[in-house]
Amino acid sequence: MHKINDYSKSREYFERASKVIPSGIYGHQGPAEGCYIPVEAFPFFSEKAQGTYFWDVDGNKFIDYMCAYGPNILGYNDSDVDAAAAAQRKIGDCITAPSTKMIEFAELLVDTVATADWSFFAKNGNDVTTMAVMASRAYTHRKKIIFFKGYYHGVSPWTQKIDYAGIIEEDVCNNIYLQWNDFDAIQATFDKYKGEIAAVIGQPYMHGNFKDNTLPEKDFWQKVRKLCTDNDTILIIDDVRAGFRLDIAGSDHYFGFEADLICFCKALANGYNVSALCGKNFLKNAVSSMSYTGSYWLSAVPFAAGIACITKMREQNIPKLLNEKGTKLKEGLINTAKKHGYDLHVSGAASLFYLRLADDPTLMLHQKWIAECVKRGVFFTSHHNHFVNAALSDEDIAETIEIADEAFTEIKK
Amino acid sequence: MKDSRTLAFINLYAILGNLSRLCELVPEARKLIENENVSLGIQVKNGPAATLCFNNGVCTIEDGVDNCNIKLPFSSPEKFNGMIDGTVKPFPSKGFTKIGFLLNTFTKLTDILPKYLKASEEDLKNEEFFKTSTILMLHVIAEAIAQIGNEDKVGKASASYIDDGIAKLGIGDELGVGIEVKDHRLKVIHTMPDKYLSYMRFNDISLARDLFDGKVNAVAAVGLGQVRIGGMISQIDNINRILDRVALYLA
Repeated sequence: MHKINDYSKSREYFERASKVIPSGIYGHQGPAEGCYIPVEAFPFFSEKAQGTYFWDVDGNKFIDYMCAYGPNILGYNDSDVDAAAAAQRKIGDCITAPSTKMIEFAELLVDTVATADWSFFAKNGNDVTTMAVMASRAYTHRKKIIFFKGYYHGVSPWTQKIDYAGIIEEDVCNNIYLQWNDFDAIQATFDKYKGEIAAVIGQPYMHGNFKDNTLPEKDFWQKVRKLCTDNDTILIIDDVRAGFRLDIAGSDHYFGFEADLICFCKALANGYNVSALCGKNFLKNAVSSMSYTGSYWLSAVPFAAGIACITKMREQNIPKLLNEKGTKLKEGLINTAKKHGYDLHVSGAASLFYLRLADDPTLMLHQKWIAECVKRGVFFTSHHNHFVNAALSDEDIAETIEIADEAFTEIKK
Repeated sequence: MKDSRTLAFINLYAILGNLSRLCELVPEARKLIENENVSLGIQVKNGPAATLCFNNGVCTIEDGVDNCNIKLPFSSPEKFNGMIDGTVKPFPSKGFTKIGFLLNTFTKLTDILPKYLKASEEDLKNEEFFKTSTILMLHVIAEAIAQIGNEDKVGKASASYIDDGIAKLGIGDELGVGIEVKDHRLKVIHTMPDKYLSYMRFNDISLARDLFDGKVNAVAAVGLGQVRIGGMISQIDNINRILDRVALYLA
């Protein structure tokens, strides 16, 4: 039996944070948006991380299946990535003229990502999804963008919805929201707005929360690709979340089509802050014409880290490795649930698995099970897809299944 | 931006509609209608139509004006909202013999409402008054959420993302309401629902009051464990977005 975690220090820090930081911890790592249900089951602040683990401020150790919401792909503090970053930091990072590491990194991405003829770097996923939409508008001189319901493309006003705080109608009036996998609806929208659609933007498959993740139907992307080509519309793949976990050459490559623009962040540099927009040659001039930059976007340390990370991911065939680990975990969890009489759905790619206990449509049973896992040292989250990293060992997977087993026993009481 | 049609729905269903709760909870209000047997229909052109029924100390609200014995017609939502503001004087099109009810009892009754819904700091020091006022606010806010979700352009966008089922909004373990969603239309259940798809529970009545008054932020309160959420969180999330617009209309 595993011990039940105590989070006294996390609570104390949160009260302190609440006094000086809006909502204590904002955004996806906050207890409200992160769906920490109940909050008492979850740690709020970390102290350190290594490999596939993190330790909270109370000293509790977790097998971490959120991987900092994606950036941790090789394992926290990967020695090769950290050594490359440290070597670059010694000689310079944020300097008046950029380092040539930027060129090396761009060349490596062009060499690695199937659709990439060039690379443009920024800091966060949101920077590059925004740039992709702007580039599409710059190239096509059109306004409208097609999204798939359940999407997440960042936090800029154009990515949000009309009812979100701080958003005005004009921010989103050119957004068209369609159901995922509904090609007929896309076709009808293209017919209705002929010559008006600048871009279709989508994640490679639907990672929406509160429901099982959904892969593209057969030929879905190929049909969307053709429709975009026929109508001079740009096809943007937001690979910020799934990038490099499905296919080192990009998730469009994995599903057998070519995006015009593809956005990366998260796993790009194993936690160093850099994002990249890669694209086809015909869009290079449009991107060159745009006014788009940031104070730290050309810093050299994250470029060095990114080079080391991509190189290592290529050498280790990371997508295959993560898929194997994820599949082993997925099968173990499903069988354990079955042993207790529960129907655990594990959807999406194995390296980005999404969990849902389907026995209770209110999801309250699922939330209880997740909470019992977290209290015992497995960091799952209630309603977000999870992430697998290369440092996850067979022993970690076995321990996770043991804890899941205990948690199932607990929720039956 | 505030939409006058949506405001008319709120004024009719959330404000006047809460006379039923006022008569239940406040003896002074109940006494005013204990011997009445009147039904007051309010018909707003391009807006809502409902009848307030006063029957021996009990007040209820029904959709439509077919069975009323006094009818107040309004040529626009703005005119009706003007009556609520006190800037427009209504004239009945039916029930002239009952005009005394309108001028006396109904006016006195509606005069009690602001005392509870826009309560003074002094009145709130009284524990019983504080509780009654906060319960009334919960019902007004829940009804306003439903009207905004059904009528307001931005509110409808939030409602379009809400799954079918009941969301429970509770204060402690005893007080609460349900918001029932079906095909993205919202309806308030003015009692604590037994079964629900999601919940948002305020730990105690003081916290609920602070949230209603905008002194506390719900997201921060979740982290502190003062507000509990659970179940189909997307329901609560979207209801919260509508809740954000309630202040715009009820300010």
